[in-house]
Amino acid sequence: MSPMSETVPMLRRGDAVPRPAPVPPPPGCWRLARGEWHLLIERRALAVGLSLLALLLAASLAYLCLGQQWLSPAGAWVALHGEGDVMAAFVVQELRLPRLLAAWLTGAAFALAGCLMQALARNRLATPGIIGIDNGATAFAVASVVGLGASLAPPAMALAGAATAAAVTFGVASGGDTRGYRFIVAGIGIGAVFGAVTQVLLARVDIDTANAAYPWTVGTLNARPGGAVTILALGLAVGWPLALGLARSLSLMRFSDAVARGLGVGLRRRRAQVLALSVLLTALAVAVAGPVGMVALIGPEIARSLASPRGVPLTASALAGALVMVLADLTGRLLLAPIELPVGIVTAVVGGPWLLWILMRPAKRKSP
Amino acid sequence: MSQGVIANTEPRPPAGLSGVLLLLTGLLGLAALASLLWGAGDVGASRALAVLFGVGDEEARFVVETLRLPRTLIGIAVGLALGVSGALLQAVSRNPLAEPGLLGVSAGAAFAVAVALWLGASAATLRVAVAQVGALVGCLSVMSVVRLRGLGDDPVRLVLAGAAFSALLASLTSLLLLFDQRTADEIRFWVVGSLAGRRLDDLMAVLPSLALALVVTGLIARPLAALALGERVASGLGHRPGRVRALVVLAVALLVGAATAIAGPIAFVGLVVPFAARSLAGPDIRRTLWLCLPLGPLMVLSADVVSRLVVAPSELSLGVLTALVGAPVLVAVVRARRLPVL
Repeated sequence: MSPMSETVPMLRRGDAVPRPAPVPPPPGCWRLARGEWHLLIERRALAVGLSLLALLLAASLAYLCLGQQWLSPAGAWVALHGEGDVMAAFVVQELRLPRLLAAWLTGAAFALAGCLMQALARNRLATPGIIGIDNGATAFAVASVVGLGASLAPPAMALAGAATAAAVTFGVASGGDTRGYRFIVAGIGIGAVFGAVTQVLLARVDIDTANAAYPWTVGTLNARPGGAVTILALGLAVGWPLALGLARSLSLMRFSDAVARGLGVGLRRRRAQVLALSVLLTALAVAVAGPVGMVALIGPEIARSLASPRGVPLTASALAGALVMVLADLTGRLLLAPIELPVGIVTAVVGGPWLLWILMRPAKRKSP
Repeated sequence: MSQGVIANTEPRPPAGLSGVLLLLTGLLGLAALASLLWGAGDVGASRALAVLFGVGDEEARFVVETLRLPRTLIGIAVGLALGVSGALLQAVSRNPLAEPGLLGVSAGAAFAVAVALWLGASAATLRVAVAQVGALVGCLSVMSVVRLRGLGDDPVRLVLAGAAFSALLASLTSLLLLFDQRTADEIRFWVVGSLAGRRLDDLMAVLPSLALALVVTGLIARPLAALALGERVASGLGHRPGRVRALVVLAVALLVGAATAIAGPIAFVGLVVPFAARSLAGPDIRRTLWLCLPLGPLMVLSADVVSRLVVAPSELSLGVLTALVGAPVLVAVVRARRLPVL
C-alpha cells in the first residue's frame, strides 16, 4: 500500500462526505460565512475606511461653516435644510454645498485613478497627471478658451483632450508586449507635446484671454460646470464598483509578471481595463476641476500609509483623495481671503515637498 | 597597437568618423544658409541671397543682418549646448532616456528665471547666471535621485521622477504667476521656447560659459569613456569617478542653463541628438560627443526654419517642433525590445 491511501481514507458509495474543518480566518480579519459564501473583512481596512469617512464628514462640516460668512455648525445644519436666515441658506445651499460635492467627487475620482495607475505601473509616481492625461485636457480646454475649436465649451474640450491624449498614448504604446512602462513613457512624451501646445496657445493671445484660460492650467473648483459634475457622479458610481472588482487582480499584479500570470491573472486584459478605468475617471474629474493631478499622488499615498500592505487600498484612496480635496479647497478659500487660491495651487504647494521627499528618500521597501 | 590607442588623443576625431563628421558639418552649413534665406516675413530667398553677395536692398539687408544672422548663430549655440548636455547626462546616468528637458534640469532653469523675473530682474547676463544656478540645482537633485534610489538601472523610473519634478516646478511657476501680472505677461512668451527676437548680446552673454563647458567636456570625455566600463575599471585606469561625475554635472548645468536662458526651455533636443549620434557612432561616448557637435545645431536650426515656414506669416514655436520630433524618438527608444543600457 502506498502511504497516500493511509492518510486519505477511500470514500465508498453511500458514505457521508466529511465536511472540511472551517479554515480559521487570517489574522486581523473577520469572516462572514453564509452557506457557500464567505466574505473576509479586514479589520484594519474597515477601521481606516471608517476613520477617513469620519474625517471627511468633519472637514465637510467645516467647509460648510467657514468662509466669507462664518456660521456655527448648528447654523450650517439649519441652513442646509433651507431654514433660518435666508442669506445663510443661500450661501450654504447654493454656493458651498455644490462646491463641496464637486470637491468630494473630483478628489475621489483623481485619487482612485491615481491608485489604479500606481498599482498598474508598480510605481507610486505614476499618476495619470504625471503621464500627460492632464496636459491633454489642459491643452484642449485652453484652445477652447482662446477661441480655437470654439464650438465646444471648455469642460467638454477637457474631456475630449484627456481622451485624445490617452488614445494617442494607447495607440503609440500598444503592440509589442504588455509591459506597462511603455505606456508611461509614451504618455510622458505625448504630455510634453500637449504642454508645448498649451504654452504656444497662451503666448499667441492677449493677456486678458490668457488670464481667462489660467484656471484651466492650474485647476480650480470655482467655475465648475453643472453638467460635468453630474457626469462625474455617474462615472464614479460606475467606476468605483468596477475598480473594486479589479482589486483582487491588482493586488496580484504587484508581484512580477510571471507570478501574477501563474496566479491566474490575465495580464493583458486586466492592464487594459485598469488603464481605461483610470483614464476615464481622470478625464471626467479634469472636466470638472481642471488639472489637479497632485491629489492623485497624495490620496493614495495617505491611504497606503494607513492601510495594511496586503492589498491595494482603493476605497481608502478615494476617501483620502476627497478629504485632501476638501481641505485644500477650504484652505484656498480662507488663506488669502478675499483672494481665492485655486485648489490646484494649494495641492501643488502641499504636495510638492511631499513629492520631493518621495523622490529623495532612500528606497527601503518596494513601492506597490 | 597600444601605441596607437594612446596616440589617439582627444582633440582629434576618432578614426572612421571624419567622413560622417564632414557630411554632417556640410548639412549644418546648408541648414544655416536656409536659416539666413527663409523667414516668416516677406523677404524671400532671392532677396536674402542678394544680401549675402553684398547687393541687397535696405530692408532685406536689415532682415538678414540684424534678425536672421543672430538667430542662426544663437540656434547653433543652443543646439550645441543641448545636444552635448544630453549626451553627457546619458553617459553619466547610464540611461538612454536621460534628457535635460525630461529630467527637470530645464525646468529648474526655467523656474529660476521665473523667480528672477518675479523679483524684478531683467538684465540678460543676470538671467544667464540665474538659469545656470537653477539648472545646477535641478541637475544635482536628479543625480542625487539616481544615486540614492539606484535608479540608474531603471530608465523609466528615472524619467518618471523627472516628470514629477518638472510638474512640481511648473505648478510653483503658476503660483508665481498668480501673484504677479507683469511676470505672467513676460514669462508666457519666454517659456514657449523660441529663437525669435533674440539679439546678439544675448549670445555674447552666454559665450564664456559655453566655452568653459565645452572645454570641461573635452577634458572629461576620456574618463567618461572609462567610466562606461564600470566604476572599478575607471578607478583602475587612474580616474576618479566622483570627480568626473561632479564635472559632468557642472558642464551640464552650464550648458543647459545657457541654452535655457537664451531660448527658453526646449525639450527633447538632448534626447534625439545623442540617440542619432549613438546610432551613427556606436557606444563610445567620445565618438558620440564628436557627432553631437554638428548634430545638435543641425536639429535646432532645421526645426527653427520649419517653425518659421509652416504657418507663415506667423511662426510656430521651436519648443513645439522639437517636442513633435522628440516624442516619437522617445517612444522608439522605449519600444525597442530591450532598453539599451549605456
